[in-house]
Amino acid sequence: MVDGGNIVTKFNKGALLAVTSAVVLGGIAYGSVGVVGAFAQAKPVHHTVVKHQVKHPVVKRGAGPAVKLQETGSTLLWPLFQLWVPVYKHVAPKVDITTAGTGSGVGISQASDGVVQIGASDAYMSNQKLKETPGMLNIPLAISAQQIMYKIPGISKNVHLKLTGTVIADIYLGKIRYWNAPQIRNLNKGVKLPHWAIVPIHRTDGSGDTFLFTQFMTDTNSAWSNSVQYGTSVSWPAVQGALGANGNQGVVQTAEHTPGSIAYVGISWLNKGLQGGLGEAQLQNKAGRFLLPTPATVAAAANAQIKATPKDERISLIYGPGVNSYPIINYEYAIVKNKQANANVANAVKNLLLWAINPKGGNTASFMNQVHFLPLPASIAPLSRNQIEQIHG
Amino acid sequence: MKRHQLTSKMFRLATGIAAGSPLLILIVLSFVLFRDAMPAFRYQGISFFTGIIWNMGNMYANNPIVKNGVQAAPGAAFGILPFIVGTIGSSIIALIIGVPIALMTAFALVYKVPPSLAKIVSPVIELLAGIPSVIYGLWGMTVVAPWVEYGLGPWLSHLGHMVPFLAAPVGTGLGLLTSGLVLAVMIIPIITSTARDLLKQVPTLPVEGALALGMTSFESVLHVAWPWAKRGIIGAVILGWGRALGETMAVLMVSGDAANYLPANLYSPISSMAAAIASMLDSALTDFSGLSVHALALIAVTLLLITMLTNLLARLLVQFGGRRVGVEV
Repeated sequence: MVDGGNIVTKFNKGALLAVTSAVVLGGIAYGSVGVVGAFAQAKPVHHTVVKHQVKHPVVKRGAGPAVKLQETGSTLLWPLFQLWVPVYKHVAPKVDITTAGTGSGVGISQASDGVVQIGASDAYMSNQKLKETPGMLNIPLAISAQQIMYKIPGISKNVHLKLTGTVIADIYLGKIRYWNAPQIRNLNKGVKLPHWAIVPIHRTDGSGDTFLFTQFMTDTNSAWSNSVQYGTSVSWPAVQGALGANGNQGVVQTAEHTPGSIAYVGISWLNKGLQGGLGEAQLQNKAGRFLLPTPATVAAAANAQIKATPKDERISLIYGPGVNSYPIINYEYAIVKNKQANANVANAVKNLLLWAINPKGGNTASFMNQVHFLPLPASIAPLSRNQIEQIHG
Repeated sequence: MKRHQLTSKMFRLATGIAAGSPLLILIVLSFVLFRDAMPAFRYQGISFFTGIIWNMGNMYANNPIVKNGVQAAPGAAFGILPFIVGTIGSSIIALIIGVPIALMTAFALVYKVPPSLAKIVSPVIELLAGIPSVIYGLWGMTVVAPWVEYGLGPWLSHLGHMVPFLAAPVGTGLGLLTSGLVLAVMIIPIITSTARDLLKQVPTLPVEGALALGMTSFESVLHVAWPWAKRGIIGAVILGWGRALGETMAVLMVSGDAANYLPANLYSPISSMAAAIASMLDSALTDFSGLSVHALALIAVTLLLITMLTNLLARLLVQFGGRRVGVEV
């Protein structure tokens, strides 16, 4: 803007500003993925990295040519990939892996388009999307869960409010507007809830967490299943004051800074949320019990449902049966195209995924515990292995 | 052919191409955008601009629906009125706050601040214009939003008895007012530096003459400098407005990303057209019918038209708002 006067003279002559705005627009339309992605990456998560005590049974050290792999998608799976990558570097030194937490929607679309080799997603692909891009594999790597978190003035974060799916749906539908509404009070006798407006927070990016959350709402609330339904992005009911946020990191941050907030957060972000002073709700399961997501309740929910897993492993594990089953659990998927660019890339992807689901590799407890995931059950691992074997060059 | 003739020809060709390219870019870009946007307009019609609900439809449905010959995910509806209101509302707030500050800064820099000091201040202002918008966004999120939530908002809401739009609840600080404040800071440097350069071009003699006639410095600015530079300054303001209308990242970070409702007061969460395109493109790409991406293109077209329209309107205002006042040198 040093020659600001000059610019204005030209601008008086005509279309300069129009062109500028057009170019800006073009930039917005075509560059936004990069912008949003870049911002998502601009906030790295600091985890203590596990020492590489893991012995790898599949790949020989230093075998094969140098390969670059890209992973993007789910912000729920991202912390685990960040733990995996430095360790895997010792397993396969010639394989370079870059990771990004951009939301499951990006994971699905970029893997389908062949932009990245591995798309991470908490949601399996829809029938229609599979029809559009045949040859996509939905490969479970682990079992995850989602918790409901909140920040209520005057309520200690050690108090685990009891909530049901239908009450949470009514909050997001705008039918329950205050924390001391009778529906919430009746579930939490003895807790002194303030008359404070509830601020529902949702994900703005295409998100597997949104998929899981809205499935839970759909299963428990008929008004929801008749209107909003479920998906990686949905049309949120109009609730005055409701907020949107980008990625799990954005949701946790916004919830922390917003008194009265309620949010759905992937379990790998539980520690961050608790550190930030958020409370964690006990959710009512199908059997009517109120449970927190613990290894026991998540495992119970998994055991009750995984038998039904089909060969392509696309299945919802939401609101399953069982007295001790936590209601929101899911498979964490690697979305991978069966045909990769060449044999080297295909082998590198295969080896990485085989290592990831190996109980002595990526599924080892030292990784799983840090993100509160459960390893892939022994009865499901063969299904994932079968799918991984389909990857070719 | 002689050498200098050849170079002259080449020069004419090169400058011709260069001079023509902005227009060409505009035409190509508009064409592509309009073409991409057409299916969404056929599907939604005029209610695209008046509807409040934005719904990409059920992407896990097994079959698409067909309406007006366009395939869509079941339940798809595209209404962008909240984005339009958010864009125009936040940019107008930015102008209301930013323009007086920018113009007074420019007047001060040219007429009041000693040249030695102006030499330091001017580059600082230009530096402000070069700060990436994501940094303004971060500042807005961590500093401005809490200030609006706990400081400015509650204070302003006391006036709510007289001005309904200012009434409580203040909410979370993420919303219309914060977006406007951040945008104001972003457009001040552009308007200031442009206005300053224009004022510098105002001949000194008439200004000095005015002072010699006993006018105060305010009067000399009002009656001599302002009429002289008015048209250019309005142009500068429009330039700033254009930036505010199209600003994406900073607004995305402080707007609160409101979905499907119009702002109820000055502090309500909003979303702007540019921010909506940026935040929803990823989700739209997972729409198996592809219509959501077309709908985003239609938002882009709308933003383009609004930007052009505001320009045109401002240009007309200047044209009919009186010609240059006769100040002879």
